[in-house]
Amino acid sequence: MRLRVNGKEVEAHPGTLLLEVAEVPTLCHHPHTETRGLCRLCLVEADGRLVPACATEAREGMELRTETEGLRTLRKTLLEWLALTTDLAQAPDLLALMERYGAEPERWGEVPGRRGREVLKDNPFYLRDYAKCVNCRRCVDACGDGIMGVYALTLEGRGLLAHPTTPLDRPLPETPCVFCGNCIQVCPTGALRPLSMEV
Amino acid sequence: MRTTCPYCGVGCQVEPRLKEGRIVEVRGAEIPPNHGALCVKGRFGLDFPFSGKRLLYPMVRERKGAPLRRATWEEALDFAARRLLEVLGRRGPEALAVFPSAKTTNEEVYLAQKLARALLGTNHVDHCSRLCHSSSTAALSRSLGGASMTNPLEDIWKTDLFLVVGSNTTETHPVIGAMIKKRVRQGAQMIVVDPRYTGMAEASTLWLRVRPGTDLFLLNAMARFILEEGLWDRAYVEARTEGFAEWRASLEAYTLEEAERITGVERGKIALAARLYATTERAGTYWAMGLTQHTKGTATVQALVNLALLTGKVGKEGAGLNPLRGQNNVQGAGDMGALPDVLPGYWKVADQEVRRRFEALWATPLNPDPGLRMTEVFERIPEVEAIYLIGEDPVTSEPYQDHLKAQLEALPFLIVQDILENETTPFAHVVLPAASFLEKDGTFTNTDRRVQRVRKILDPPGEARPDWWITRELGKRLAQALGRPWTLHPGPEAIWEEIRQAVPEMVGGITYRRLEGEGVRWPCPQEDHPGEAVLFRERFNTPSGKARFIPVHFTPPAETPSEEYPLVLSTGRVLYHWHGGTLSRNSRLQEAYPELKVEVNPKDAGRLGIHDGEIIQVVSRRGRIRARAWVTDRTPEGVVYAPFHFAEAPANRLTLDALDPTSRIPEYKVAAVRLEKLD
Repeated sequence: MRLRVNGKEVEAHPGTLLLEVAEVPTLCHHPHTETRGLCRLCLVEADGRLVPACATEAREGMELRTETEGLRTLRKTLLEWLALTTDLAQAPDLLALMERYGAEPERWGEVPGRRGREVLKDNPFYLRDYAKCVNCRRCVDACGDGIMGVYALTLEGRGLLAHPTTPLDRPLPETPCVFCGNCIQVCPTGALRPLSMEV
Repeated sequence: MRTTCPYCGVGCQVEPRLKEGRIVEVRGAEIPPNHGALCVKGRFGLDFPFSGKRLLYPMVRERKGAPLRRATWEEALDFAARRLLEVLGRRGPEALAVFPSAKTTNEEVYLAQKLARALLGTNHVDHCSRLCHSSSTAALSRSLGGASMTNPLEDIWKTDLFLVVGSNTTETHPVIGAMIKKRVRQGAQMIVVDPRYTGMAEASTLWLRVRPGTDLFLLNAMARFILEEGLWDRAYVEARTEGFAEWRASLEAYTLEEAERITGVERGKIALAARLYATTERAGTYWAMGLTQHTKGTATVQALVNLALLTGKVGKEGAGLNPLRGQNNVQGAGDMGALPDVLPGYWKVADQEVRRRFEALWATPLNPDPGLRMTEVFERIPEVEAIYLIGEDPVTSEPYQDHLKAQLEALPFLIVQDILENETTPFAHVVLPAASFLEKDGTFTNTDRRVQRVRKILDPPGEARPDWWITRELGKRLAQALGRPWTLHPGPEAIWEEIRQAVPEMVGGITYRRLEGEGVRWPCPQEDHPGEAVLFRERFNTPSGKARFIPVHFTPPAETPSEEYPLVLSTGRVLYHWHGGTLSRNSRLQEAYPELKVEVNPKDAGRLGIHDGEIIQVVSRRGRIRARAWVTDRTPEGVVYAPFHFAEAPANRLTLDALDPTSRIPEYKVAAVRLEKLD
């Protein structure tokens, strides 16, 4: 089938996700996890409506726009909010996006966030530095349905208070965690990282 | 840089990132077989090459009782060659044995067995799969004419029913375990046959908790039920198999009632399992040590093979017979001829035509008599006078440890070639320090026949050298003295080129250049061949092209519980450790699982007054060990489970050396023991 991406005709198979036919920034999306459409960074305009490119399939005759003024502003704002509430120092891909979209988090002033959270070190293998977490939930999905089926990580709270943790906030050795580190591999911000990286 | 994980047979592609001589991070590569996923061993356990226990210099022991002393490579190799030649001259080739390792590369295994056969003239060549899947090899070879997984790991995504027997997959092959569990979440069903409540049992649709050592009865009863109900694949059996009538007649005694009595699994569950397996088109069978490490290991695997043939499951996508191989290169070690009865490519040494082919390639006459198997070699000491041991630690891995130690004590000459000091090193007369997987090039072949590259990322420490270099240099000295030819390969790729010539029908089409990307599966005869995924689609690898049914009968384990030893001990592994512990216990993994824990069922614990976490003694007729009790219903009543990784509390001090008559594998899974409280 055929669709138009930013005015150019593109061919796609049925079932193709929009982000496979158009280049858009992503954050929560990862090919091995089940996360879909959470972070809104990949929003695109499809036939005039805003949809997440990671969770929307291409359709015959679709008119897709990926870099409108509105989308640029939206992405800029989303990135600014992330940078306001979290420490992105170890998230090179996000820092590059901030540069690209001209994000200026400081224009929002001080906002309470998770920056102050302490690093959790409760096992011999890796630490959880949730001050750097952007709630993409890739780790939760890698641990659960996406890869391992272990469910040692979960999401607690709602809205702005939502954050990944262990069930009942238990230390990792008291959860079903098997320390495969697949959560570290999919973490885009260094919120989960091996202890061996610490000097 | 990408390389292959050195732990299990999954063959995960890993990307270790090094900084200032240490590993700071390991990522899974986004290619098959693991597609980015790893387990704790691959992710956090690759730092053993940096252990303080590394063997750094060659060492020799001049005479019995003298200490090992540091030597130069020249000295150590000259000494080793001289002693081997002396035994050869005095006693002949039958007094020598060479054990390559399923942890070294294909190139290194090939060279080591070539040294044994072409220079020393002995077929006493074997490796550690004798202790793990030799039963599978025996049963699959005689029925199908091939001893590997029949289906690729990708087929997991096409499988609608998994029959997992005696495999603690989530702990021993974790990445495959996760794949199977994910497929089950997608809607496939899973039948698990295991006495223990493993991660697989937890994820299963149907769990059959058999009494240890009774799987064969269960599998035969399933077959009988399938026949009775008319659920078998008549067309397949007629077109593709032989020996059916005789086998069918052998099943008479295996009724569901009798099966319930022997196995402890209620008959309705057995019938349901049989029905599900027979009526699901894409049903794949996976198994491991729970089936093989018995005195009837070969017979039990055979029962599984018979069941698959009866229902037409071999040669089809998403189905098949899939032994999960243990060591990283156990498939390759067999392929390369580290077995006493076959040359590389599983060609029989007893076959004159076959010998001619290798005699031409190696330009030397070959010994026509199949050699002894590893477990037999240790029994023949001191008739066998010299052993060249590469990357193995028999003191930890062989059964009945005290007996094995006495045998090694009586062995006149032992060469230990390894990367780390282990329990066997003290028995060595020559110690040759080897390079670890991070420090050399070559290939490993994973459990689904995928040949993959191992890449040098670091220089070996001290004077350690790659195994291929050591074997080459030792071979050079033997060849000079014997006046025989010996190729001085400049490196692993040159050795691989010789392997391609030796077994073109297996790996002729696989070049190092092709392995730059993802691995290639054998058989792969030409360079434009993609490598075979599913085996036996059209015909089996037997002379008639048909698979053979072979009748097998249930026998009780060699040692059954008694009043004095009322419990059954089963040994195995835990997620955080690997075999003898030489690698994992010299890595960060040790912190997560520092000591032996023995699983005891709450009912047994209650009766004996044993509390969770208490230190107890486990006693068998052969010895005793101390362990921490873990009171859990993971293990059934009457059974205790002990991992064998801990040298200071070796489970193999308790196991017995009763062997399977066909494969000569020891019965690690059933030994009679009692538990004693410490006062």
